[in-house]
Amino acid sequence: MNDSLVQLQPAFILRHRKYRESSLILDVLTRDFGIVSILARGVRKSKSKTAGVLLAFTALKMSYIGKHELKILTHVEIDENAVKLTGISLYCGFYINELVGYFLHKNDPHPEVFAEYQQCLALMAQTQDTEQILRFFELNLIEYIGYGFQLSLDVKTESIVQSAGKYFCDCESGMLSSAKGYVSGKTLLALEARKPLDKKELYEAKRLMRCIIDFHLQGRHLKSRAVLAKIIKQM
Amino acid sequence: MGLLIRNLCCLPGVGPKSAQRMAFHLLQRDRDGAKQLADVLLQATDKIGYCQLCRTLTDEDVCDICIQPARDKSVLCVVESPADVWVVDQATVFKGLYFVLHGRLSPLDGIGPDEIGLDLLRRRFSEGEIKEIILATNSTVEGEATAYFIAEVAKKHNIQASRIAHGVPMGGELEFIDSGTLSHAFSGRREMV
Repeated sequence: MNDSLVQLQPAFILRHRKYRESSLILDVLTRDFGIVSILARGVRKSKSKTAGVLLAFTALKMSYIGKHELKILTHVEIDENAVKLTGISLYCGFYINELVGYFLHKNDPHPEVFAEYQQCLALMAQTQDTEQILRFFELNLIEYIGYGFQLSLDVKTESIVQSAGKYFCDCESGMLSSAKGYVSGKTLLALEARKPLDKKELYEAKRLMRCIIDFHLQGRHLKSRAVLAKIIKQM
Repeated sequence: MGLLIRNLCCLPGVGPKSAQRMAFHLLQRDRDGAKQLADVLLQATDKIGYCQLCRTLTDEDVCDICIQPARDKSVLCVVESPADVWVVDQATVFKGLYFVLHGRLSPLDGIGPDEIGLDLLRRRFSEGEIKEIILATNSTVEGEATAYFIAEVAKKHNIQASRIAHGVPMGGELEFIDSGTLSHAFSGRREMV
């Protein structure tokens, strides 16, 4: 058995870098192997057959080989149910790519994150109203990789949060009730149950998720977030 | 000698072996040529800057294309690099003006609207002379994102924006075309008659 060969693995390209004259190094989210770096040789040549296939946000099936950290792409094809992102969804797609790239470790399989990512893209392809989709994606991502905590639990009193109460987030322990809190209990309950959020709740959820994500990024910055803010402002 | 070879390696497509050949050729056979090359390189790096109107490379304030009176000033073709201006100008009958972004929106690398000269482009939009823009950015996800963004900005200025077509290459046989390009060709199909 050749354990270094992976065949037709469902995958999404998260980001690509140019390598030498005609090649690309791809950071790929695979279903069964987590994030893998793959070298695609010769794809930037004019006669390349795969350049038109190797696109981000497209469900792909990839075959690759290699015993070292950097694998070599041998075959790639488009999976049947491809989605197409446009407009705001496309920019948000870059954001979730960066997020997944930061939170998942290389070669650490998370099939549930893969499924979540796929579903998130499919949802974003249908609408330009991406806020709620993004919040649920962030929440699920953090839960799947083991940083999750119960949003509906007030850790100070060890009781379920009150719908009318105000809370703030201590990223290490959980939600704490406080008169100066910026998230309402109603938002927390809705988030926990993944129920639709209204405009105010979405704003609170965004602040909350940003706080949690920034805590786990440990000082690193999401480049796409700053760029996205500029793009949306100017559009 | 080693230093010369290493420095020649900075050119695209030149590895140590080619660099070695070039270095020996210049020193053994063509010293005059080498001096001339050095002079021209120095001059070029000193003098060639960006055109004030379209940001392509030029040694004047305004480039040859922007200064031509015969060019149609109401149409602007937006491209990613100065090399693209050259290619489009050689290959097509396009007689409008160009705008070079020197890159593309790439949120993952932190490249946003400010880095691709959008201030200048917006200023040109607001001057009112431009009626149509053609978005000829690369057919990559980033190129697509850039095109969409600029189209939205143009819309605000009531400028019509169109995207270059992607699909089956001329003389191409469907059998040999990759599935990505082919599906693009189908979604961008055109009515006949």
